[in-house]
Amino acid sequence: MSSNLVMLPIVIPMVTGVLSLLVAPSYRIRRVVGIAGLLINLAMAMLICSRVLGAGEQILVLQAADWPAPFGITVVIDALSAVFLLTGALAFLAIYLYCDEQLHDTAGGLFHPLFHLLVLGVQWSLITGDLFNLFVAFEIMLMASYALLVLGTSRRQMRQAYKYVVINLFGSTLFVACCGLIYGHVGTLNLADLARLSHSGLIPSAAVPAITVLLLVFGIKAAIFPLWFWLPDSYPTAPAGLGALLGGILTKIGVYVMIRIFVMVFGPSTSQVSEVLRPLLMATAGITMFLGVLGAVSMTSVRRILSIHIISQVGYMVLAVGLGIGIGLTTENRVLAVAGGIFFILHNMIVKSSLFLCGGLMKYHAGSDELERMGGLAKQAPWLATLFFIAALSLAGLPPLSGFFAKFILVREAFRAGWYTLTFIALATSVLTLLSMIKIWSYAFWSRPDPQRQKPSAPHDHGIVQAMIGTGILVTAAVVMGLAAEPVLRSVRSAAQTAVDPAPYIHAVLGQNQVYPLELADQTLHQEDHQP
Amino acid sequence: MTIFIATIIAVLFGCAVYLMLGRELKEICMGLFLLSHAANLVILEAGRTPGGVFVPVLGEGHLLSQLVDPLPQALILTAIVIGFAVQGFLLTLLVVTWRRAASLNTAQLAQPQPLPIAPASSSPPHVDQPQGQSTGNDPTTILTTDRQEHR
Repeated sequence: MSSNLVMLPIVIPMVTGVLSLLVAPSYRIRRVVGIAGLLINLAMAMLICSRVLGAGEQILVLQAADWPAPFGITVVIDALSAVFLLTGALAFLAIYLYCDEQLHDTAGGLFHPLFHLLVLGVQWSLITGDLFNLFVAFEIMLMASYALLVLGTSRRQMRQAYKYVVINLFGSTLFVACCGLIYGHVGTLNLADLARLSHSGLIPSAAVPAITVLLLVFGIKAAIFPLWFWLPDSYPTAPAGLGALLGGILTKIGVYVMIRIFVMVFGPSTSQVSEVLRPLLMATAGITMFLGVLGAVSMTSVRRILSIHIISQVGYMVLAVGLGIGIGLTTENRVLAVAGGIFFILHNMIVKSSLFLCGGLMKYHAGSDELERMGGLAKQAPWLATLFFIAALSLAGLPPLSGFFAKFILVREAFRAGWYTLTFIALATSVLTLLSMIKIWSYAFWSRPDPQRQKPSAPHDHGIVQAMIGTGILVTAAVVMGLAAEPVLRSVRSAAQTAVDPAPYIHAVLGQNQVYPLELADQTLHQEDHQP
Repeated sequence: MTIFIATIIAVLFGCAVYLMLGRELKEICMGLFLLSHAANLVILEAGRTPGGVFVPVLGEGHLLSQLVDPLPQALILTAIVIGFAVQGFLLTLLVVTWRRAASLNTAQLAQPQPLPIAPASSSPPHVDQPQGQSTGNDPTTILTTDRQEHR
């Protein structure tokens, strides 16, 4: 169904960003503009979710300037985009509430427009309907993140930022080259059209290497096994709010794109891509999971533990992508595995961000980020202890909380599909996750406080209330996701359904325009030329 | 023609990777710039219609296979614009780093203490490079004193 509603996820953050650039450079006005924009964004995401996931389950499509589908720019919102939009919008609001004052002080007034541009990039990459626009959206997202990472940083952080910038630029350049090669071989970059061709087994084998290189591109964004080296250095040095934003949201967008491209577009067993990708993804998933959590167990500062945890969690998500590609699996199994994966990503976007925010608050209270020098926070900041406790247990996957359901579905599907080793690794990783969370808990909250510690400085107290509200929103969302697992699971399932079986998506985007092959088009054009 | 352009792409990629493996941030950035040009050439060559010789304007009566596909060129234009923005950002970042740290060498940036202004003799890793000695040290002292005066 065609609808202008589809453009709102791009328009709202763009307008908010430009407005907050143009309004007087006072912190108060910029903050009001920012919060209002993000609230409207959240309302928009809810509206879109109710349209897409509600009765009838429409897929919203907009063909820019009314060019027919494979030729113009297409913007699509299906169930998969919608669930991510909603979770993202909520997380953005909470993170903004948490960090706007602190980052306004350190990074300066430019922080506000950059934040909104980052939101723009993320939401655009969620709703784009073709590969090249995905590249453009990625670039917007990354440019904003580069700038946020280097604004107001010290010189050592700056060097770490270079690592992030250079590796991501390298990835982007590869992405462009891959786009060119895929276009050269397949003749289209429209996702629906690519999916149609790959479902009919029409992707030429010459295009397979280019598509496989895309794994490298998205892998850099998502920080999977051989490509994760930039992450432990760049995120822990950033302020907590940024860590939540980049670590909690941006890496997940990399995995979302993997689901979109590798499961939905190139996933069917008719495409040769899946045969190449599947073993790669499965091996990477196991190694990423396990090495990530081992790294986390060995670290001694809160932010570092959390950052390296990101890698381990991404391993689970990649496992879901690998199962979704599954060649020998039934559609039902694939849907369930992908649904588990999506649930896991959504849960992680919320919980990981909230843990980062908790880490920031812990640093504020304890005056240090090192576990050895924390301690006694349970008495000093009981509310923070509660928030951290819930979020940490949810991350480890204890039953009433959101992490449990996500992991349960995923692990069960991996077991059913016969990947016993991976199932075992996933469970072992889970135990080690709990171990590293207990480590933070017992060091920071229960042990005796460092006698030399100074009381937190007074002037930030106002910001702390707001920061607690931001963290509280995320933790509440995590609890609600666990308690209301049934409806969440239903939406996630329909999201996975569109990924595994894209026929409705293809129909919604291409409609009757399923022309091709090229020789046929050549003939028709030839005839049209001679008709007048 | 294809082989010629492919060779150029290969050379560009090779040079870019060589530059990016260096220790100077300037070289790394130059490598990235070269890499983006190589990627643009890849699009141009990969998206070329083999028999395309005519400009794709309607009403000329050519066969579709004789027309040039305009889409890769549109893609390249977009990629160039984005690459330009990225280059601007990177160059600004270089200038800011230089002003703040008085060095663009990754090894020197990694050192924890703020401004170790070494005399010309005590920079062993780059003794064989004449450039490293001349540009690496003299402007450093000038710039840092300059910076301290500003404060």
